[in-house]
Amino acid sequence: MVSQLFSRQRFWRKQELSSYYDIVIIGGGVHGLSTAYYLAKFDKDLKVAVMDKSYLGAGASGRNTAIIRANYLTPEGIAFMNASLKLYEQLSGELGLNLLFSQIGRLDIGHTESTLFWLRQRSEYNQLMGVESNLITPDEVKAIVPEIDLREGKPFPIMGALHHPPAGVARHDAVVWGYARGADRNGVELHPFTEVIGITKEGRRVTGVDTSKGRVKAGLVVSATAGWTSTIARMIDIDVPILTYPLQAFVTEPLKPMIDTTISSGELHTYIYQTERGELVIGGGVDHYPTYSHKSTLHMLEELATNAIRLLPQLRGAKVLRQWTGICDMTPDYAPIIGPVDGVDNFMLNCGWGTWGFKAAPISGKTTAELILTGKVPELIEPFDLNRFYEGRLINERAAAIAAAIH
Amino acid sequence: MGRYSQLPRLVPSSRELISRNKMVELKFGRHTVEAFEGDTIASALYGAGFRIFSRGFKYHRARGLLCVSGNCPNCLMKVDGIPNVRACLTRIEQGMKVEHQNAWPTLNRDLFSLIDRLDWALPIGFYYKTMHRPRALWSISSALIRRVAGLGRLDSIASESLPIEYHRFQQTNVAVVGGGPAGLSAALAAANSGVDVTLVDEQSTLGGHLRFENRMRTLGGEESRNVISALSAKVEAHERVQVILDATVIGRYEDNLLGISTPGGLIHLRAQSIIAATGSLEVPLTFERNDLAGVMLGTGIQRLINLYRLKPGQTALVATTNDQGYYTALDLLEAGVRVAAIADTRPEFRSDFDAAVTLKGNGVLVLPGHAIVRAEGTRTVIGGVVAAIEADMPTTKERQFDCDLIAMSGGFQPANYILRQSDVGIGFDSEFDEPVPISSSTAIRPAGDVTGFHNPHVATLQGRLAGLSVAKTLGMQVPVDTISQVEVELRNAETTYRDKVQVRPAPIDSEAGVKQFVCFCEDVTLKDVVQGVGEGFADIQTLKRYSTTTMGPCQGKMCHKRFVEIVSDQTGMSPDEVGSTTARPPIQPVTLGTLAGPGHMAWRRTPIHNRHLIAGAKIIETGGWQRPHSYGDPHDEAKAVRERVGIIDVSTLGKLDVRGLDAGQLLDFVYTHRFSDLRPGRVRYGLMTGDNGTIMDDGTVARLTDDRYYITTSTANVETVEQWFKWWMADRQICAHVTNITAGYCAINVAGPDARATLAKLTDVELEPKKFRYMQVKSGQVGGIPAMLLRIGFVGESGWEIHVPSEYGEEIWNALLTAGEEFGITPFGVEAQRILRLEKMHIIPSQDTDILTTPFDISADWAVKFDKGDFVGSGGLRIAKERGVRDILVGFKMRGSAVPNDGDAVVSESGLPIGRITSARLSPTMGTGFGYARVPVEVGVEGGVIHIRVNGINHLADVTLRPFYDPDGVRLRE
Repeated sequence: MVSQLFSRQRFWRKQELSSYYDIVIIGGGVHGLSTAYYLAKFDKDLKVAVMDKSYLGAGASGRNTAIIRANYLTPEGIAFMNASLKLYEQLSGELGLNLLFSQIGRLDIGHTESTLFWLRQRSEYNQLMGVESNLITPDEVKAIVPEIDLREGKPFPIMGALHHPPAGVARHDAVVWGYARGADRNGVELHPFTEVIGITKEGRRVTGVDTSKGRVKAGLVVSATAGWTSTIARMIDIDVPILTYPLQAFVTEPLKPMIDTTISSGELHTYIYQTERGELVIGGGVDHYPTYSHKSTLHMLEELATNAIRLLPQLRGAKVLRQWTGICDMTPDYAPIIGPVDGVDNFMLNCGWGTWGFKAAPISGKTTAELILTGKVPELIEPFDLNRFYEGRLINERAAAIAAAIH
Repeated sequence: MGRYSQLPRLVPSSRELISRNKMVELKFGRHTVEAFEGDTIASALYGAGFRIFSRGFKYHRARGLLCVSGNCPNCLMKVDGIPNVRACLTRIEQGMKVEHQNAWPTLNRDLFSLIDRLDWALPIGFYYKTMHRPRALWSISSALIRRVAGLGRLDSIASESLPIEYHRFQQTNVAVVGGGPAGLSAALAAANSGVDVTLVDEQSTLGGHLRFENRMRTLGGEESRNVISALSAKVEAHERVQVILDATVIGRYEDNLLGISTPGGLIHLRAQSIIAATGSLEVPLTFERNDLAGVMLGTGIQRLINLYRLKPGQTALVATTNDQGYYTALDLLEAGVRVAAIADTRPEFRSDFDAAVTLKGNGVLVLPGHAIVRAEGTRTVIGGVVAAIEADMPTTKERQFDCDLIAMSGGFQPANYILRQSDVGIGFDSEFDEPVPISSSTAIRPAGDVTGFHNPHVATLQGRLAGLSVAKTLGMQVPVDTISQVEVELRNAETTYRDKVQVRPAPIDSEAGVKQFVCFCEDVTLKDVVQGVGEGFADIQTLKRYSTTTMGPCQGKMCHKRFVEIVSDQTGMSPDEVGSTTARPPIQPVTLGTLAGPGHMAWRRTPIHNRHLIAGAKIIETGGWQRPHSYGDPHDEAKAVRERVGIIDVSTLGKLDVRGLDAGQLLDFVYTHRFSDLRPGRVRYGLMTGDNGTIMDDGTVARLTDDRYYITTSTANVETVEQWFKWWMADRQICAHVTNITAGYCAINVAGPDARATLAKLTDVELEPKKFRYMQVKSGQVGGIPAMLLRIGFVGESGWEIHVPSEYGEEIWNALLTAGEEFGITPFGVEAQRILRLEKMHIIPSQDTDILTTPFDISADWAVKFDKGDFVGSGGLRIAKERGVRDILVGFKMRGSAVPNDGDAVVSESGLPIGRITSARLSPTMGTGFGYARVPVEVGVEGGVIHIRVNGINHLADVTLRPFYDPDGVRLRE
């Protein structure tokens, strides 16, 4: 361990683009990188390249608020996210990099009976599927977050909460770097600042990609481009039921510890936690209109601040240090899309990560890699195929998403 | 504990901001400090002899004043309970309570500073490389790190009690950001050309850096400060200019919206055009121990001397890469500080450089081609060492000077944040050694120091040109001659400046020491940055995230320039290739309270609300309304409705008035049922689905006349439904008019066996079953008030919904209570209503349905009319119909005494979740638990048995598809 502390080894190498890869992954975020990592780990002979139009982790991977939890609503969602949480628990060890995954727990606050109803549905299903998740009383909430205000007559009273102890927060950039380093060491080529500008096809068969650095042939192309998925889909003329919405968040200046868990309120569209460095991270629902723009807005900053103060009035004097925006590929049922696309060969989608992608990255990459290598759809991702939208098999994860401000 | 008064200040000056005859007292920790009105906390403490103001974030090293302009982390303090306040910007007030932060037990003796000795174990990214094996180690370490991290502690009571700030919304033709020479000139030129100008400056007085600049800086042959005060006076007096002082632009947002933080609250300023005269920030040099208290930026020192008349030290060493250091040295001399030497990285300087000549004439030692390599001292400066530069690196030819002050100038970082937020192109100018704007637009134009020209004459000309150009763009008559004349003058001035400018970036020598700080906020050293590049983080965006450089309280204001230089040096990329980090808002930190504004909370209450309060109702919030949950025991209330008569205030129902030739066609299109064939005077239940055929809302549709419908929606959904109607009206080009009259009408449901007798006492409308059938609507008088009566039965009893204009709601409510007294009438709340409707198996959308529930899943096939042609959701519904129902909503009745909760799970025999309880209650009629469950269609059959998990234990329940109460609807029609 000590030797690693003083290691100055490069995290990843600089590569020259080749003319052919067995697999080209578009998107150097957590999903693309974890897919590459597991592909190379399972089959070292594969020639895999990951391409990103910007730096590694420039998209949602570097802009999310890094919460990891499994307290979802549907059996499909719970099983999938719990498998991811379990991988996260071992991931620092596996990747040999401290991802700063701190399991500080999660409270989903209910202010009304109807929210408690949804929270109970989650706690019951979670428990039945082996995920630690309990509906707790206001006093129990207070014991976990002494800063919470239980006085009567206040708007948005605390009526209870869903407590999910194994949830936590990781350093999102470290997850990107960890997978990138692991992929690199297993022989994957990482090509940041290499933009895919087209996908080449022969008939229904995808044959490669056109990049800002030239044409590359590929045996299989995987799109893992989150908010830009619809732009990739346009390149091969397929329809994906995705609308891209911006999602904004901000951090405050570092403060001495005051909140030791992650708190969220669906009714207030807000969530708050404090990093190890003391900054409060505050996020909320997606913007009200779809766009690919990464521009932060004053309006959303004010809305986030207002809602945060409604949850914790003592934050009035905390100062916002920086606000930022990511974009999210929202699906109608708030669940992802993983797998091949009917009518297009040698192509695979990994998208629909909306506001829940970061926590899913390990299991998404692992199952996508298994799917590619075995040709068989792993049970965990069976429900998440694209055809579900055409066959009426949607998965209702809306009530578990804090971002459910739209529709 | 002590009492501190001010050490002698310098002789009074016209530029000083202090009032020497007015004393103010503040508390600093346990000390009492007396200072002058007009002092900031920083100048007050400095003047009383304090030199250490804070402790570093990571190593807890002692830190003193650095920039004195609110752009560095060194003077962050806790003031009146609010942490991270910039002491150098905050003017003192009587009784103000100032405390240090992030040090224990005291600022001078901070035990955490032991960490400084462990620096060898804490290289860049050390936390990524350690503490994760074994796994448990991290949970222990992270808990410890959490305890020591952070800067100030937020005092909950002080924070919550901060005054409410209101937001203001303003518009202007031209917003000028920055009140220095460029901004003032721009404002004046634009205003004189006939446009309205709003000038914003973050200081309390106009003038920008000329307020504290050395007097040798001249403008048109005159001392620049005199020129600037004349200009300021003109601008302030101009009728077309609004000046907003103490106002910080926190960001430039889309469509030229400026967010401006002021002591009076946040201003949203929308400008047709912006002139960015935002100036620049002097930045530090990197050398060993460049963070000691007493190492300051030259402009910081000039502010102390000229604005607060403080003598900053006894002996100073000046280190610079440009002309600025010399002006600082001149001010130091004037303030009676001995200048030991000036180390200038430039090998030579111009012979006509007045400041240098004057300094030499005063016997100051000037050392060209020298860089400072280290400061001496442990907490405060006691000396400095400079070395001759050869081949861009410091040599061992060193000279040591004793001093208690080091004035440094590492050049300038343009304050170009609003330009970058506007996507103005920025390119590196190697002659200036600065990034400069290389494109502009009519929306935003740069002027002044932000362009890289550090010359008041150039600044005023750039300002004038920007002001004239903007006025012309906005349609004003500006003589072409005037513009071209200024252009020529400016070109000459710029050329003259460019010919003379000399800048030489300081050497980068990571071997020269481990305490060369690049980022003061995060304690990132030169060695850290160099190592980060070596580990492969070769682009500035990933290196920023790996090293946390630029991510602290100053957001890169002090370190960004040097950061780019180092990355460029280490990677061989040009500064343009290195680029910059993103200029994210807010440009200066702003409190959540300022952003939130008053945050009004709107509670919706019905006009009868006060009656409910008087009756002792328990109020709950539902769908944005405050409603009575119950007035006592909900079971008693439910029983009263079943056996006698009850009334409930249902004014919260959404109410839409739909009129027009195609009103029926509209309803046919947005509801699954058919309404064009509904006869006037009749009411029909309506289900509304989204595009995919899943349930959005339900309600009742009453046809009043051929071309008029009256629709109720569920409480929370009326706005959505209204917009939904309007969307499809536009899309389908349907001639109809939708008016939301929710607030205009009160609605009361009177229901129960004695409802007719009660209502009959008040109305002339014939209520007999054959005259007023179930699902009919009639108008008439109730208690002398014009009313609309709908005979519907959500709670399963014979009853009427009485709709009256809101102002009569309370009167009707009272009249009904009086009329029903003899029958034992009882008001009932939402809880009793929920029990009653559940017994009758009437759904509540979004309680008993979710976003995937189709009408078929709730056995409402009868409400879907495929034969009427295309309608919203018909495609999805056809697919759903073909696919068949998978999960069905069914009734269940518990076999034992357990009563499930809303949200409990239905489990398979093997204990896996297969369904959910959407609504469950104890039935007052049946005496058992019952409700609605959504289960797989295989088990959701009449006579089926399901397992329900209640508080962890599985219980048996019987499934039914028929309502528990009055399954044939006899009572409804009675």
